[in-house]
Amino acid sequence: MIKVGIIGCGKMADQHAVQIQRITGAEIIAVCDSEPLMARQMSERFNIRRCFTNAQEMLDAVQPDVVHITTPPQSHFQLGKMCLAAGCNIYVEKPFTLNTCEAEDLIRLANRNRLKVTAGHNAQFTYAMVRMRALVKNGYLGGKPVHMESHYCYEFGDASYAKALLGDSNHWVRKLPGSLVQNIISHGISKIAEYLSGVSPMVIAHGFTSPFLKKIGENDIVDEVRVIIRDEDSTTAYFTFSSQIRPVPHQFRLYGPKNSLIVDDDHQILFKVENKEYKSYLRYFVPPLEHSIQYAGNFSRNLKKFMKKDFHLPNDAALKTLIECFYKSIAGDAPLPLSYREILLTSKIMDDIFVQLQDQGSLERMKYNAGTV
Amino acid sequence: MSLDFAALSDTGGNGYIAKPEETILVTGANGFIGSRVVRTLLLYGFKQVRCLVRRTNNSISLETMINDFNGKSVEMVKGNLLSRDACKIAVEGVSVIYHLAAGVEKTFPGCFLNSVVATRNLLDASINEQTLKRFVNISSLAVYSNEKIRRGGLMDETCEVDTKLVERFDPYAYGKSKQDELVLEYARTKGLPYVLVRPGVTFGPGKARIPGRVGIDTFGVFLHLGLNNKIPLTYVDNCAEAIVLAGLRRSIEGEVINIVDDDLPKSREFLRLYKKQVHRFISIPIPYPAFYLFSYLWEKYSKWSEGQLPPAFNRRTCATYFKGNTYSNKKAKELLGWHPRIRMREGLESLFVYAREVKGEK
Repeated sequence: MIKVGIIGCGKMADQHAVQIQRITGAEIIAVCDSEPLMARQMSERFNIRRCFTNAQEMLDAVQPDVVHITTPPQSHFQLGKMCLAAGCNIYVEKPFTLNTCEAEDLIRLANRNRLKVTAGHNAQFTYAMVRMRALVKNGYLGGKPVHMESHYCYEFGDASYAKALLGDSNHWVRKLPGSLVQNIISHGISKIAEYLSGVSPMVIAHGFTSPFLKKIGENDIVDEVRVIIRDEDSTTAYFTFSSQIRPVPHQFRLYGPKNSLIVDDDHQILFKVENKEYKSYLRYFVPPLEHSIQYAGNFSRNLKKFMKKDFHLPNDAALKTLIECFYKSIAGDAPLPLSYREILLTSKIMDDIFVQLQDQGSLERMKYNAGTV
Repeated sequence: MSLDFAALSDTGGNGYIAKPEETILVTGANGFIGSRVVRTLLLYGFKQVRCLVRRTNNSISLETMINDFNGKSVEMVKGNLLSRDACKIAVEGVSVIYHLAAGVEKTFPGCFLNSVVATRNLLDASINEQTLKRFVNISSLAVYSNEKIRRGGLMDETCEVDTKLVERFDPYAYGKSKQDELVLEYARTKGLPYVLVRPGVTFGPGKARIPGRVGIDTFGVFLHLGLNNKIPLTYVDNCAEAIVLAGLRRSIEGEVINIVDDDLPKSREFLRLYKKQVHRFISIPIPYPAFYLFSYLWEKYSKWSEGQLPPAFNRRTCATYFKGNTYSNKKAKELLGWHPRIRMREGLESLFVYAREVKGEK
């Protein structure tokens, strides 16, 4: 039995608790939140025996095997260190830490204490992403990816999170080095990081505030970001974050030297783009037919999984898969679901993006103050 | 639609617990009901109305309305109830607090945080304010359980509060009921002078959607579930006046007061008028037993599939909203001396005019 503790009893903690309670052999034995009311409501709703307002007290009292840290990111590093020092493996929600230095320190400490760490990059484990990974592993691309495109976008719309952010000048998201962007893009960046080589890719980022946010006076939040990445082997990638594209895309495209793959995470579609040549006019008739057959296959696969009660909402299902894989790795039965290299590279790319966005922001403000914008 | 100023003045002789020059706080003042509460207070002649609003552009309508009163009587405080400092600033020197801010999110922790934790912060800040005479906590009719009430039976202030709101999968009602519990605890342990107000379904210009108790369009077609049920509507201006009076009337400390209007329409009547006056669409009438069976099967499937479909439809929700009860505003009328100034027909007319405008804009 894996004994689980959760620190931070907000919305993410709820999602974790629901999935953990679906995993055989795992039990949430305690929750902790510095706000006693939040800790109590969670323990009551999920029927968890112990609740605490002090993380160290929880670690000392119940000694969990693994702790899920679902607090705002500013506290991830300190809480992570505290848990590792107490002998607990840790699942840290995204963004993993505030910067790469903190991420490196946590992983170093985990290695030293023979403990394990994972990050909340659950978007890597949706049904379609898992299928994609299996195809890549089997050589479908025909070699290392030549190019990748990751679209991970966001809608301010009616999301309660956005409402909370826009309505609160002191919201913790605003205080992150990369603000809103930092809290969201790790999902999209980690998809790229998985297939990059080396430790220091070139990153060129451009960000700005959308006309939508400017109109409501939110000039300090960057919600449009475009990034170009190139690794040491000249694999390149484009990353797009936008709050204005409709419908909001969450897509990943892998272009290989032989074939390519497209993952549409919004609809759980994996599309294979095969390198086939057709004579003359056949190229206009056969591929569309093949494409429709592929879409029908995706429909059929999703439906079959649904009928077998194995098609929960993608983010929930992905969260369960990631947690389950992590627990198996803790039990010594499997490798880590996310390599430390991938976690660190994601963090490094994000740091590079934020530095450039901050420079651009300073420049914009200087121009604004000088009256040239 | 305008209210008669003269008619609003306190001519009862008993007076109110607060004088016009005393400071009144309204939380959630830029909300659908909150902005009307502010307006009613101004119409009542209060000269120190403090509005606590979040930092969003939604306060534009409130500010416009305040400008109609020259803005002299209103103090806008921008802040968040999750900040204890903001609460301290907001409650300084207040006589009456109308607490309308609430969590209206889709998640339990979100609703809990913005209803319960926010209320706790406000109560902690206000409990030591020597000037505080009353805390008006705005709850909801949705917190009641009708488990022990037969179909058509009366749901009033004596009914039990639902203790199984997690099973009902109703984060809003859960947050509201826990907020009520907290207020009662502060009253018991710290002597908080309070009144609990539980409005029914508020309607009026500003909220164009058909109330959920009439039916749902989740499946792409409108399912008419209310049929012959009375819908516990309260026109937003009527509701606002009842709330204002709940903060002012003497000798009603510790009372729970439900707010619904007179002449409640049946769901069938509401839908017929809506279709006639706003736009026509196809609706499928679903009898209560059929929807109850559907909810039962959905609930079972949700459990069996470990939440592949969330238990959004379940027997408790079905019963709460569609079993069909009757409602009373007797207590509100007796204790508050309130009566709905805007008649149901007039209220519905202004709703439909607004809904037509919204439809036209789309």
